[in-house]
Amino acid sequence: MIKIENLRKVYSDNGYEALKSINLEMNEGELVCLLGPSGCGKTTILNLLAGLLDPTSGDIKFDNDSVINKHPKDRNIGLVFQNYALYPHMTVLQNVMFPLTVGKNKVSKQEAETRAKKYMEITNILELADKKPGNMSGGQQQRVAITRALVQNPKVLLLDEPLSNLDARLRLRIREEIRRLVKEIGITTIFVTHDQEEALSISDRIVIMDSGIVQQFDIPQNLYLEPANLFVAKFMGNPIINLFTAEKNGNNLTTKDFSINLNLLTKDRFKGELNKGKYIVGIRPEYFVLSQSPLFNVAIESVELIGKDAILNFNISGEHVKSITDINEKIQENQTVGFDIDYSKIYIFNEDGTRVY
Amino acid sequence: MTTVKFIYLMKMEQGYINMRKLKYSAENSPKAWLFLLPALIIIGIFNVLPLYKTFYISLHTGTLNNLRFNGLQNFSIVLQDARFHTAIKNTALYAGVVVPIGLIISMIIAVTIFDKIKNKAIFETIFFIPYLTSVIAIGIVFRFLFNEQYGFINYMLSWFGIEAINFLNDPSMSMTSLIIFGIWSGLAFNIIILLSGLRNIDDSYYKVADMFGATKKEQFFRITLPQMIPIITFLLMVNFINAFKVYAQVYSLFNASAGIANSASTGVFYIFTKFWQEHRYGQGMAAAVILFFLILFFTVIQNWVLKKISK
Amino acid sequence: MEKLNSFIAKGFVVFMSIITLFPFVYMILASLMTFQEATSIPPTIFPEVPQFENYSVAMEQAPFAKYFVNTVFVSTVSTIGTLITSILAAFAFVKLEFKGKDMLVLGMAALLMVPYEVTVFTNYQTIAQMNLLDTYSALIIPSLASIFYIFYLKNYLTSVPISYYKAAKVDGCGDLEFIVRILIPLIKPALFTMAILSFISGWNSFLWPILVTNSTDMRLLSNGLSSFATESGTHVHLQMAASTISIVPILIIYLVFRKQIIRGVVKSGVKG
Repeated sequence: MIKIENLRKVYSDNGYEALKSINLEMNEGELVCLLGPSGCGKTTILNLLAGLLDPTSGDIKFDNDSVINKHPKDRNIGLVFQNYALYPHMTVLQNVMFPLTVGKNKVSKQEAETRAKKYMEITNILELADKKPGNMSGGQQQRVAITRALVQNPKVLLLDEPLSNLDARLRLRIREEIRRLVKEIGITTIFVTHDQEEALSISDRIVIMDSGIVQQFDIPQNLYLEPANLFVAKFMGNPIINLFTAEKNGNNLTTKDFSINLNLLTKDRFKGELNKGKYIVGIRPEYFVLSQSPLFNVAIESVELIGKDAILNFNISGEHVKSITDINEKIQENQTVGFDIDYSKIYIFNEDGTRVY
Repeated sequence: MTTVKFIYLMKMEQGYINMRKLKYSAENSPKAWLFLLPALIIIGIFNVLPLYKTFYISLHTGTLNNLRFNGLQNFSIVLQDARFHTAIKNTALYAGVVVPIGLIISMIIAVTIFDKIKNKAIFETIFFIPYLTSVIAIGIVFRFLFNEQYGFINYMLSWFGIEAINFLNDPSMSMTSLIIFGIWSGLAFNIIILLSGLRNIDDSYYKVADMFGATKKEQFFRITLPQMIPIITFLLMVNFINAFKVYAQVYSLFNASAGIANSASTGVFYIFTKFWQEHRYGQGMAAAVILFFLILFFTVIQNWVLKKISK
Repeated sequence: MEKLNSFIAKGFVVFMSIITLFPFVYMILASLMTFQEATSIPPTIFPEVPQFENYSVAMEQAPFAKYFVNTVFVSTVSTIGTLITSILAAFAFVKLEFKGKDMLVLGMAALLMVPYEVTVFTNYQTIAQMNLLDTYSALIIPSLASIFYIFYLKNYLTSVPISYYKAAKVDGCGDLEFIVRILIPLIKPALFTMAILSFISGWNSFLWPILVTNSTDMRLLSNGLSSFATESGTHVHLQMAASTISIVPILIIYLVFRKQIIRGVVKSGVKG
């Protein structure tokens, strides 16, 4: 459905290279999130898809049709802005009708109203029809903005950080609503966000971006379970993954305070050879496990309780480490505990960040 | 031959159409020039062209339809003209007196209104009136008030035993009268801008100062004044530039003249006389160029000071 | 001590407000006096019998009705023209990207520093060359666009989120459609203020009409008034009536739209 080929974007005013060479393919009806820290290029991709920016090189195809020389209005897209861009001097109904009453796609006023109301029914905002956007809650404005984007029946829906202006609880509800809605209509949707939890909960697939490069494009659980590289491993997960520098000595990967026996690793998880040299070992907080025959013993520095889990803070191999255990373990500060690790769940990265295990 | 030409023209046309069907670009919309065109035409003819013409005519002599180049002669004539000296002296005197006195009076009024007066809106409304009313009309009123025999001002002065002053027909009084009129008509703008500046000072500064027991006077000099410096500098700049362009005040106060024996002539009045009454276009424009550079000089200096201060 | 200071300061403000108002009040009072009252020594303050016929006499001696109509017409047309050219230009500056934009803005900002009084004389020559002397066109055309108001609107337009324009663009809304349906309704207050200020400055304009008009029929209030003042000699009561005619309409506009006018002046920092 959407095909992005070797897309590169250098901003002409400051020479900043926002996108290096992006290749992506998205399927009809798919909900894809563009996820990454600010400045990673995700919004740039969205603006290029919408035709609000010119690509430096590369191509974008909708249904095998290049769109980069097309005006936004000819691309058959709907766009929802972070600030919703609802016109404050128009009522909700007028806002939703607006796309149907301008330009060459103009339809009669009556038909515009019928079509607007049809979509307003789907998004459940009919009762807001005569209100002005200024008198509405963020969630309501959000729904109006999406309705306006859908009213021309576009093939692609683009959403730019649509939830960032909402409070935390509303965000949870609206993101479910958005997913339900776009799946119901069956529209191909691209959703830009910097919030991984949001991306994980809503998307079919996620594009993780950093410094203008696609780091990984995969289904949500794979990003967490099988990160393609060090950046993705660090980006996904909260608390953040624990990292240790290690050196290969014979059959061991040695950190300052403990070493990993390579024979205990799962053979088919290897993606490359482990040669003599330096590596980075990544262990997620939940894969430090309390053990009677521990890999190391350590004094717990502090304990944070978060619901049913407890985060244990301690220092090992010169790193400040967080691990998660069940609250029922009732571990106290200053208590010395023994930890083992789940060998089938750890990651090993080269120094350049590529993953070898 | 004609067919070849026709095909050639066809090709041209094709090329033209291709050119016109430029591919869409989000970051460059040449059609912006279409939106700017109406404004640019007017600005081009009435803002850019006259600037060029002013310089051009200043180097020429003769009538507007028959200009002859005569180099810098106009400038040397103007610079040696005693009337030009008077005009510039008067302009400088006007600026040097009206600007500081006007600003100090405005500051006292603005601070008092802001600080001590409950019904601010009424005073704000009153003080702003002169800003909007025609200088010509109000100048005629001032001429009436300034009249030596039946003027109201001399009547009031007589209460204090001061003898009637010949405000308008005594060369030595012309500038004084003009300056009084200038200060009166300049207060409105200053007061409004100063009041808006005072309103913009964060109230919490004063609350904190009150907590520490600072007196009103200390608060004024330690909080209000430093906070107001950018605005005061802005006003200084605008007032100075306007003082250098003073003209309508003179025209109306002295009944279409520059006062007895040109005693209240100013820079712009000098240009007006040269250009309009004596038809010495070149000399008039030479004076305009000189005035322009004087104003530019002050603008640049004050811009520079403003930047320094805002840092 | 502080109390005394406060008393003096308040007294000063009241005194100054009287000085500010007095010329207007006295103008109106004198416009209703007989010639004897207006020139009596000591001056009369209140006319014994208000002489309303002063107004009709003044209007007989000079065609103030014609001046009035001319002024309203010229100011209105210039204001509408300025509004249109400024909206179009400000839109292009704020919502469109094009080559040479920065240079153009810089150039216009530089032109803003050129005093009107320096260019007004050669503009007279331009109008003469166009054979437009002594016509409405001469009075109107030069004020159909103003760099100052373009910048004023440009500033205001930056407060309209760019996403409004982008959203409209994606929806297929053309630029003129966007200006008419979105931009103008959104910036109405600014346009309104700008219209009042432009109208008032048109009303009070003086130097330009003096240069480009000679026939009495083409005069505007300011220069009509000024020549009446010269011609009517010592008839101050008539001069006061004529001044009142040219000042009172503006005073009424001011009293009605006081808030918008003051806010507009503060925002634009324009010095009349």
